[in-house]
Parts: sequence; C-alpha cells; structure tokens
Amino acid sequence: MSTFELLMQGFGVALQPVNLMWALIGSVLGTAIGILPGIGPALTIALLLPVTITLAPESAFIMFAGVLYGAMYGGSTTSILINTPGEAGSMMTALEGNKMARAGRGAAALATAAIGSFVAGTIATLALTFIAPAIAELAFYFRPADYFAITVLAFCSVAVVMGRSRTRGFISLFIGIALGVVGIDAMAGQPRLTFGMMQLLKGIELTVVLVSLFAVGEMLYVASRYRSVPGTMVSIKGQSWFTRNDFKRSWAPWLRGTAIGFPLGALPGSGSEIPTMLSYTLERKLSRSGEFGKGAIEGVAGPEAANNAAAAGILVPLLTLGLPTSATAAVLLAAFQNYGLQPGPNLFSNNPALVWGLIASLYIGNCMLLVLNLPLVGLWVQLLRIPRPQLYAGILVFAMIGVWGLAQSWVDLTIMALVGLMGYVMRVYDFPIAPVLIGLILGPMAEGYLRTALAASQGNPVALVSTPVSATVMTIAVLIFALPPLLKRLKADA
Amino acid sequence: MNLKSAVLPAALALGLLTGAAQAQVNVMLPAGTGGGWDTTGRQAFAAMNAAGIYTGGVNFTNTGGAGGTIGLAEFLSTSTGSADALAVFGAITVGAIELNSSPINLAEFRPVARLTAEYLVIAVAANSDIDTLEELAAALKANPGGTPVGGGSAGGVDHIALALFAQAAEVPVADLNYIPQTSGAETVTGIVNGTLVAGISGTSEFSQFAEQGRIKILGVTSAERRESLPDVPTFAEAGYDVELANWRGVLAAPGAPDDNYSMWVENFAKLAESDAWKQVLATQGWDDYYLGGEEFGAFIAEQTETQGQILRDAGLVN
Amino acid sequence: MPALSTEGQTTNEGGGRKAAPYRRPYWLGALVSAMGALWLYNAYFLPQGARYAAIGPGLFVTIAGAGLLILGIILMVQIHRGERFEPQDAEDAAADAPMDRNAFLIALLAVVLPIIIMRPFGLPITAMIAFTLVCRAFGSRAWVVNLITGAIIGALAWFLFSRLGLQLGPFFGQRSNTLFAFLGF
Repeated sequence: MSTFELLMQGFGVALQPVNLMWALIGSVLGTAIGILPGIGPALTIALLLPVTITLAPESAFIMFAGVLYGAMYGGSTTSILINTPGEAGSMMTALEGNKMARAGRGAAALATAAIGSFVAGTIATLALTFIAPAIAELAFYFRPADYFAITVLAFCSVAVVMGRSRTRGFISLFIGIALGVVGIDAMAGQPRLTFGMMQLLKGIELTVVLVSLFAVGEMLYVASRYRSVPGTMVSIKGQSWFTRNDFKRSWAPWLRGTAIGFPLGALPGSGSEIPTMLSYTLERKLSRSGEFGKGAIEGVAGPEAANNAAAAGILVPLLTLGLPTSATAAVLLAAFQNYGLQPGPNLFSNNPALVWGLIASLYIGNCMLLVLNLPLVGLWVQLLRIPRPQLYAGILVFAMIGVWGLAQSWVDLTIMALVGLMGYVMRVYDFPIAPVLIGLILGPMAEGYLRTALAASQGNPVALVSTPVSATVMTIAVLIFALPPLLKRLKADA
Repeated sequence: MNLKSAVLPAALALGLLTGAAQAQVNVMLPAGTGGGWDTTGRQAFAAMNAAGIYTGGVNFTNTGGAGGTIGLAEFLSTSTGSADALAVFGAITVGAIELNSSPINLAEFRPVARLTAEYLVIAVAANSDIDTLEELAAALKANPGGTPVGGGSAGGVDHIALALFAQAAEVPVADLNYIPQTSGAETVTGIVNGTLVAGISGTSEFSQFAEQGRIKILGVTSAERRESLPDVPTFAEAGYDVELANWRGVLAAPGAPDDNYSMWVENFAKLAESDAWKQVLATQGWDDYYLGGEEFGAFIAEQTETQGQILRDAGLVN
Repeated sequence: MPALSTEGQTTNEGGGRKAAPYRRPYWLGALVSAMGALWLYNAYFLPQGARYAAIGPGLFVTIAGAGLLILGIILMVQIHRGERFEPQDAEDAAADAPMDRNAFLIALLAVVLPIIIMRPFGLPITAMIAFTLVCRAFGSRAWVVNLITGAIIGALAWFLFSRLGLQLGPFFGQRSNTLFAFLGF
C-alpha cells in the first residue's frame, strides 16, 4: 500500500468524532498548561499517562499529539505578552515578541507565531510522512564530536544577544555556565558545587532559572521604578492586526526555521533550544531592517517555526526506530510501553492504524490549534488590559506555582528568589539576560559531548574535527566569529 | 479571566478521568513521572486495586534525582514512624548512596518486597569483529583504553555489570574506559557509529536494535537464557561469573508499626501472585523478581556490600 | 543588599567624575569575582583530569570560575575608568527615575516569604499573601479586593492543576506537628 493510501486510512481514524474530541481536549489542555511557566509538554504528557489505562491507544496518542503542539502555542503566548517564556524553546520568542507587544504589535506577534507554528508543523508533518526513514538514519550517523561542533556553533549565537557591552555579555554567559555545573557530574558521578545540600545534587532546574530571570526579575524591576501614568493602562495602542507587510517579512523566516528545526529535532540531545537559538541568530544576521532588539517580526517568526518543526522532528526517530531523542519523546515511549507496544520499524507494519492515525492527527491538531488560536489572539491581548498591580501580582503567582509544582521544594523557591534578585540587578546595570540561559543550557551539553568524544578517542583532540560534519560545522562557527571583524578591517584598509 | 474559562471545562473533563482519590497511603516515587520507578509504583497499586488486595486511596509523590537518594532522604525526614508510608527504589539506589556519600542507610528502612527485575545485555555493532564475550574480554585485556564501553550513569548497574565482567576476565577495573551516556538511545547510536566499541543496557532497550540488525548482543546477565533472546548466552555459560539484575522494590518507613508493616508485606506477597500483576509484567516486559520481607532485607545488605566493593575497586569511591 | 545602598544615590549627572555624588558600583565586579573565586575553590577539590578523557569533572568548573574571576576584575577596571550603566527599558518602568526602595522591598518580600510559608500554609494562602504584597508594591491599596483576588487565583490554580495531576501539596499546607504544637496551633 502506498504512503498516501496509508495516510488516508490514518485520516479515517483521526477524523472519527471521538478521536476529534480527544484531539480538541489535547489541544486545549496543552495550550492551557503551556501558559503556566515551567510546565512544558513533557511534564504535561507525563501527568496524563494514567489515561493510558482507560483510553484506546489511538485516542490517547491523538490527544498527546494535541498536547505536544498545544503546549508550544501556549508557551509562545506568555513569552510575547508578559515576557515569561514557559520553557527553553520559547525563550528566543520572548526577546523580540515582547518588544513587539510593548510597541502595540502584540497581535501581529501572536499571529506570526500561530501561523508560523502552523506552517512549520504542517511541513514537518509532511516530511515526517514521506521522508522519515531517511531522516531517522541521521541519528546513527552523528557522533559526539559532531554534537560538540553543533553546540560550539550555537555558543557563537551568543554574540548576537550580547547587548551593549561585551564584558557584561560574557559575565552573563559565564554565570550561566557556572550554574550549569552544579549537581552530580554525569560522567564521573561526582557532586559539584552542591555545598552539601541534597536538593542540589540534581542540579539547578533550567525552568526555575528561566522563570526567575524573566518573570521575577522583571516584576522586581518594574516595582522599583513603577510610574503609573494615567491613561497608559491600556498599552495596546491602535491594534494593528497581521498586515500584508508582516506576512511578506514572515514567510521566509517560517521556512528557514522549519528547515533548521526539523532535522535538528530528530537528533538526540539537541532538543528545541538549539534550533530556536540558531534560527534567531540566522534571522538576526540576515535582517537589514535594524529592528532587531526593538521588536523585529522575523525574530518571532523564525524561532517559533523552528520550535514547532523540532517538536515534529522528535517523532521521527521515535516512531521509525524506537529511539527517544528528548524528554518528551521519552515520555511518549513510556506511553507506548504502557500499551505493550514497542515503537520502531515493526510498529509501522504491526499497527498501521495507530501510526498513521497519529500522523494524521498531527495535521488535524495543527488546523485545530490555528482555528483555536487565531480568533483567541484578540482575547489574549486583552490580558494586558488587566491593571498593572494585579497583572504583575498574577505573573508572580503563576511563576511561583510553576516552580513549586516541579518538586515542592523550598530550595527551588530559594533559587527563584536569588535568581530573581540577580535578574533585577542585571536589568538595573544592563546585563543581557539571554546569555545566562544559553550558558546554562549549552554548557552541560558541550561538556558531556566533549568528554565523551575525548574519552572515546583516548584524549586525542584531533577527534573533535575528524568527521565531515564536525569539521564543516566547526569551520562555520569559526567563520561566524572571525569573519565580520575581518571584513571590517579589510573595508577600513581599502 | 479568559484563561480560566478556557481551562476549566477541559480540566474538569480530565480530572474526572484521572480521578484523584482520597489519600490513605503515601507512596514516594523517587524519580520523575514516566520513568521506571514511577511506572513500577503506579502499576503495582493499579494492579493491587484491580485484584482487590488494596482498594484504598494512594497518594504518590515524585521527587526525582541522584539515583533516588533525594527522594529517599525526603521520605526519611517526612515519614519516619508513619504507619502507611512506602517508597519505591532499586538497584541503582544502592550504588548512588555510596557514590554521593549520601547519609541514607538502607538498613534503617523496613524492607517490604522486591518486585521486578530487568536483566542487562552487552552488545557490539553488527559489523564488529567481536562476536563473543571471550573476544570482547580479549579486546578489553589487550587495550582497555581503546575499547570504550558505554552505558548508564557512573556507578550504576550498567557500570557494575561491566566491572564484574572485567574482574572475571582479569582486567583491572580501574583501567576500563567506561563512558556514561545520558540515555539508552545515545548508547545505541554510539555503538552503531563506532564511538563505542560496546555498550551495556537493559534487555528491552537493546533487543529491538538487535532485531533491526544494527547491533549484536553478546551476553545477558541472567542465570538462564532469556526466552526472548534464545541465541544469547549468559555470562555464566561463557565462564564469567556475572549475574546481576536491575531490580526494583518497595520499602516501608523506618520505625513503621509492626502491624502495618506486616500488612504491607502480605499485600505485596498477594500482589506477586495475582493475575493482574502478571498481566502488568507481561505488557511492560518486566521479570518477576519477588522476594518478601526480611529476606529482601538480607538481599539489600548483600547488594550494599558487593556493590560498595566494586565501586571501591573501580576507584569511584574511596 | 548592596544594590540598595548604591542605587538609591545614583543620579544622572557627571560622567563618573569625582565631583558627582555618583558612587561607582565596584561591588558589581567584586560580586562576580567572588562567585568566580567560590567556583575555583570548589574546582580545586575536583579532579581536573581523567584517565582517558584527558579532561575531568573539574575542568569546566575551573573554566567557569576563572572566567568569572577575570571578568569581574575587568568590570571593576571598566567601572574605575568611568563605565556607566543605563537601566534597561521596560514597559511601565521609568528607567531614569530613582529607585523606590519601599516598593522594591515589599515586592522582594513577596518573593522571599513563600520560601518559609509555602510548605506549612499551602499554596492558596501563600498565593494570596504574595499577590497582595505585589499589588501593594505597585501602589494598590485595595486590600480586601486584592486579598480575595489572590485567594481565588491561588485556590483555583491549586484545584485545577492538582486535578490535572500536578503535585502542589495539601490545600492548607503541611505543618510539622511538633513545631506547631510548640507554637500552640
């Protein structure tokens, strides 16, 4: 049977009213929970695992697909409107998106995020349908040296979010790297910088730092300098909807973001952070408008598309090989195992209804989320009409619930307070925020891959550039770093 | 609030589905949701409920990290002396306590039941020159540094299994080039693309990649050959004394009253006999590894002793 | 809290010249260097090498520590040479206005208090108190409305997310019996 026929059968499964209902529940639930800072798709699906006892597998996975995409939409909404990215994947969205919302272009930012996610999700799902097996093989091809080169390339993206002072940018980055080494060292099993505290053994949770730096730091900063000017309560001046010009500026970033996100999502370990960072860097480098840093729509369109494409990308190795490449994929694998199913090549032949039903439901979930979200955009921006005291109080309460819900640990709440205070100081003295998170995310990744690559080659550093991919990516990284100053010098000489 | 009006109906629908019951027994799951310990705990109580052994409410707490030592430390501080407080733990906890110099002493808790086991397998790439355990042992002996082996976290069961194998093959444990990987997926890809010469993981994680013809499984750490892997010899068959399982079990709080303690020992003994539990074992691909009460306590003591010695030999613990 | 003592006196005049009442925030660089020193101190006890990998668990800690130590010194030199800091733009905030110390402290209290009261009093009560404190920091004096709003948000969130399976602790918290018996609860 051809792929197309199988897909049509899949639609037959996914379009059954009961399954449509589960897709709707999943989408709504995913969107709602994605709004809570710190609670991403992995945790949401993990919380829903008990339903596997009562639900048919098709319905459960169709609902999980809705949650997966819905959480992405929900995360971008809070990033844009209240500068509170719920998870690492929507961190880059906050940078430009929130600036847009402040300039009264929140609706356009939300629209480009929603449509971009839809476009990326659709293309990625198509790619999943037709070229999944080929993409899946990439996972076996990539070696630790290649991943290390990719992290180095992503590190180079830090330069574009450095802000006005290099020194302060590097301080932010190194604080992130320093926080990233806390906890048990994965390679040697040794506790590092835990100060004898049990709760620090598992390391500092990224989501706690993310929520504290953005939401708590911002709240403290605004509180200390709050000037309520009568009449500015409503900050959405002259709602500008998604215009033709916005579309013209958005479509290319959507496609580029998808092209970056899908293959990287299929690789173990790169998650949604690296694709979104790379997409943001690329758009910023390509942009000529000079609007970046002040609310450029390209900076929302690209990362949002990359984020959603990566989400579909993780399904490729999971479904075709049984290889979970991210936390979300690992939870989905657990769900498969609850049904006694083993994802992999045999799943396609043994359970075609399930696999193709799931793939078809991704299309349907995307359409449903677009229909659900575009009309809601107008409603979401109304959130900003809440009077400032109550709005900021609400942001803090939601941040607190997200942090407390992770492990009910007072240590997490203490880290929230300390990092929030740091976020305040960073705002007062103009330190960029994003490099802290980049250091925290990439530091441990780079360390792990570097040490694995070196251990496997018995300490021979040549191994780091010995594969075609690592050599190529490393060269690109060096060029990105060295080329602009070099060109500047050449121009000055001429 | 628009947010609320959107959340409410869906949340209610789901809340009814998942059903949060009145809590009567508190169960600590010292790992994240969706992982092995989490599934073991939740499925065990679901089966107990289905079999009518214990139908009361269960309140689960997930506190993950550091091989379960964080969760057990919290269990120790909140539940000491409690009548109905249980915790799930496993083989990895034993090594993690030594490795992190955790103040937890497993002997303080009251052992209820050992429930499941997963045996480990060692594998090489399908196109590798190595075909048997003997050849792998020879490679390790000739050039331990040039024979990197991947698996789970340092000091975990995978690492212990390799150390036992090395000891049996007379390779100094401290010379091994063991590279911990963050997931089973990374171990498999590392073996296939040649980063690792060999890898160790649970049977379920490797067997399907052997079926796909990507890796060769050389040996399994069980006492008898596995039904699902009839062609794979045990380590004992090949002449190496390596018998090791990644087991999971249940503890009661230190100082739990005798009546409640013996009730839970009995409940889990009934569970191990029940059809509902056998069904769970079959779907999850777990092995029955039941051992009840004080006998389990003796087993834990023995494991603590042997694993501690291996970690010292490997130079991971002073 | 050095942030308060210096920030309160920051003014807009004088490019870091001695005549201006501007106090140079050397503590910023000192804090960064101190963090670096702490990391370096800890790295000292970790193995820097490993048998085969050439780099051990200590290397990244050393890099992070040394980097922060040096960057902190560079920052102090820059401050000495007259580096000025312009607060970042944020909506609703006047970047050039002096700091409102009371508002800041109340807002900070809303962040710090949950560390102590979250476990014994539970999420809804904590949310109610934190919500009201933040509102006060932003100048709202509608105490009753804010207390009620905070309580409703906290209770609703607790109910919804607990039903979804998120663990948020008991509704009214978990009091250690001995402590509260002692306090007479």
